[in-house]
Amino acid sequence: MATSPTLRLLRDELVGFARSRVMIVLWVVLPLLAILGYLLFTSSAEVAAGMGGDHKMSANAFMTFLLSSLAGTVAALMVAVDIVSERTRKVYELYVIRPIRREAIIWAKFLAVAACVVVACVVAIALGIAVDVARGDPFTATIAYDALKGLASLTAVVSLSAAVGTFFGVISRTILVAVILVLYVGQNLTIVPMLPMYFGILPRQFWVIMAISYALVAVMAWLSAVVFRRSQF
Amino acid sequence: MVEPLLQLAGVSKAYYGQAVLSDVSFEIAPGEVFGYIGPNGAGKTTTLKILAGLITTYDGVVRIGGVDVKTGRDRAHALIGFMPQACGFQSWRTVESALDTLADLSGVPADVRARRIPALLERFDLLAARGKKVKELSGGMTQKLGLIQALLHEPKLLVLDEPLEGLDPPSRRLLQEVLRERRAAGTTVLFSSHILSDIEDVADRVGILNRGKVATTGSIRDLTRAFGLPPELELAFSVAPADLGFLADPAVIGAGGRAVAERPDAWRLTLATDADPDAVVHALVERTLAGGGRVRKVGVAEPALDDLFARYILESDRAAGLTVPAPAAPAGGPDGN
Repeated sequence: MATSPTLRLLRDELVGFARSRVMIVLWVVLPLLAILGYLLFTSSAEVAAGMGGDHKMSANAFMTFLLSSLAGTVAALMVAVDIVSERTRKVYELYVIRPIRREAIIWAKFLAVAACVVVACVVAIALGIAVDVARGDPFTATIAYDALKGLASLTAVVSLSAAVGTFFGVISRTILVAVILVLYVGQNLTIVPMLPMYFGILPRQFWVIMAISYALVAVMAWLSAVVFRRSQF
Repeated sequence: MVEPLLQLAGVSKAYYGQAVLSDVSFEIAPGEVFGYIGPNGAGKTTTLKILAGLITTYDGVVRIGGVDVKTGRDRAHALIGFMPQACGFQSWRTVESALDTLADLSGVPADVRARRIPALLERFDLLAARGKKVKELSGGMTQKLGLIQALLHEPKLLVLDEPLEGLDPPSRRLLQEVLRERRAAGTTVLFSSHILSDIEDVADRVGILNRGKVATTGSIRDLTRAFGLPPELELAFSVAPADLGFLADPAVIGAGGRAVAERPDAWRLTLATDADPDAVVHALVERTLAGGGRVRKVGVAEPALDDLFARYILESDRAAGLTVPAPAAPAGGPDGN
């Protein structure tokens, strides 16, 4: 049976990213640097978790904290820059002329970037847990639960950021414009899922935030598809 | 009557109020090789992008195999192979990976891809580069890869935008051969080029586009007749006569004729439209021999596509009321030597 164009392109994009230097940096170099920073930070100052609490911050918590502020931005920038760059180099012309739905091209890109950054998050959190265990902290069910919950949150943030990045990539004609839009507008959009809780409209529950995040992902992916379908090459 | 494979009817396109194409209409029959020529900015690439579905907002109708490109995009795209002017590939891809994905997206089954891709790479002398990354290829190799991707699904209509640009002479010859092979296999080809001599060698018909309008299409012979180009003669001496004055003599070349030296021993003579070329050839040989010279070659020169093209552009600009500079005086004429 023939593979769907989105799956074929997704597979190719994943292979492409997996082989790129960006991914080596994201999956290996950055987690190692982060953990090195953590080790230096905690050994020199013995700074407490929660910026002033009684307990020393775990490597796992440090990595999750670091990723929550970085992973979304990285995903949004990666996908936006990649789309603008490939469009500028006329890569999409060879895809658009084929009998496939145009949105398959950008959805594959979005899914691949989101998946790659989520893998980077998994690697970083796993490294954090490994460092904690190596330093004598027991790996408990609570830690595993918190790590999984943190990962689920990160996955939602990364997905939403990547979807926003895809949209800005599709509407931008230059990399500079895409980067500016991602940094100044995209970052604000990723806090939208929290707003109903802040204003007391919806209960402050994990699943509500997840549901709103993925609904927004769907909206942004659909908007990107509409704009890309109408694009002139 | 044979149903045309490609039909453009009243196609118009404007960017920011500026017309790029204006009521362009032409048809191409199945199996025909059609050369699409025009000066820079005439709208050739825009026309081809409309055919390929890269530009979707335009007025008029484009049908490929009877399918309207606007409403039956997927069916029309399955019939067309398009090579853009500049082919972009993802830089991390290898030659083989790029082609395999594009063929897959065109609906070519895996077993066919496994046979066809190496065969095409071999035909274009790229088999050794199949594992190379696309970014490592030279410009000419990338150009060939662009052509291969257009051939992967054996389309009924091959649309090539400046396919000869950037190719070295052996590659140009190879491409011409491939076009002839495709024509023999029944593929319809539409291609644009600035290298008119290359179009001349392979095209059955040409369409000339200027200022967004296609005013004329036809075979090169048809266009020669339509434009009423004056007959031209080629004359080469193995020994030039001492006095070449007869080349400017109206009694020899007719009133209104002129001679231009292409080399010291080779001349091109443009005769008056109503002149009899055979009589002029006879007179030229006679006067050369009488002057102590010897003729190496003499004969009627077919007008080149460049001449037709230049003539068309000149006349259409004049018709449009545009100022057209007077043609420069021929260099190296008998009086000037």
